[in-house]
Amino acid sequence: MVTTSQTKPDKELLNQLQSILLKDDRVTIERLQKTIDDPVLFSEKVSPIIEERMNFFKENFPKEFQATVDKMIERKLKASQEEILDVIYPVMGKMIKKYVNHQIQMVKDGIDESIKKTFSGSGKGFLWRMKNSLFGIKASDQIIHDLRDFQVEEIYVIQRNSGLLFGSASTENTIDQDVIAGMLTAIKSFVEDAFKREREDLEMIEYGTYKILLQNFYSYYIAIAISGTMSSSEREDLANELLNFATEYLKSLPAEPDGETFKSISTALNDSFIKK
Amino acid sequence: MISRKVILTGSFGVGKTSLFRRFITNTFSEKYITTIGVKVDKKTVEVKGQEVSILLWDIAGEIKQDKVPKSYFLGASAIIYVFDLTRPSTYKNISTDMKILNDILPDSILKIVANKADMVNASAIDTISSELEESIDVITSAKTGENVDELFLGLAADFLN
Repeated sequence: MVTTSQTKPDKELLNQLQSILLKDDRVTIERLQKTIDDPVLFSEKVSPIIEERMNFFKENFPKEFQATVDKMIERKLKASQEEILDVIYPVMGKMIKKYVNHQIQMVKDGIDESIKKTFSGSGKGFLWRMKNSLFGIKASDQIIHDLRDFQVEEIYVIQRNSGLLFGSASTENTIDQDVIAGMLTAIKSFVEDAFKREREDLEMIEYGTYKILLQNFYSYYIAIAISGTMSSSEREDLANELLNFATEYLKSLPAEPDGETFKSISTALNDSFIKK
Repeated sequence: MISRKVILTGSFGVGKTSLFRRFITNTFSEKYITTIGVKVDKKTVEVKGQEVSILLWDIAGEIKQDKVPKSYFLGASAIIYVFDLTRPSTYKNISTDMKILNDILPDSILKIVANKADMVNASAIDTISSELEESIDVITSAKTGENVDELFLGLAADFLN
């Protein structure tokens, strides 16, 4: 008769048999357990594998995940169009404006050159003048030329070394003009000092669509902020106007700026360059 | 009204910008932000019934004054040389610095200002004063505002004289 129950000696025998047969396995399991439980040992075993996988991941990321990332970016761009436009628009606007101004300026320079050649006493120039006076036809070039004139926004007469203001005029109320004059002088000093170019002066600062032209004289300089575009000949004309202004109003400046000088020069600047 | 340019110079971290802010806006910040290049601001004060506009140039600190671009000093009516009472390295070159500044602007007013008075006691100030080869004109604390207005009002009065 066969029975399933084991007697006590049978159990002991089985245990002994298990001990003999599973001895090596048990040692291995114990060692593995120890490795898993001890963070240092575990790290030693696992780190190289993780590192290897990470390197693989880094090397193969574009190949494996390119499509997924592209889709995610596309979805994000579609979902956040407004926000992205808000961020990009002002920057793009300024860049476009600056580019357009630059292009217009190049066109204006080209037109100036053509006008000069056309009207420089040649037979063709004579014909142009005749047409102009007889039929009142203005040269189309001139029309384009006048499309976007520059405007003087602010003008300052500044003592060269100290940066103190002799006079100023502006189309709008700007922040403290004394401080602007001081900072302009500091920038000018810094640039001229940093590049150590003897007898050379900073002549222009460009900021977005704004230009600050600096006309240097012996003891002072004139800073003139303009908006719009300005051709080379217009710049030359403005420089001449500044020279005339200097001859008329800035011949005898005091050693130190004072309130009276400031008032008279500011009025003259306003009449000559801002109200014009 | 008259306008005058005043330069704040000295080693880095001595409190030039703090003096500048204390005078211009009557504020103080514990945060140290190093000055790059130069910062210009203005304050108009009234002395003896007359307005004096002070254009203050706060120049980035340099260990020695010969490192400061000379063009910054040009046209200045006064130079305020600031040092830190808690850091001897900021006043050890004081005599050399004074000579450099006098050479650049021989006709300008030169004031030596010992700043951070709130961080040292009176006897320490006395010891520093006695050891210095130059005499201190004003002892200030940009933090508490001690003598800051007095420094600039004194300068304004000097300009009128």
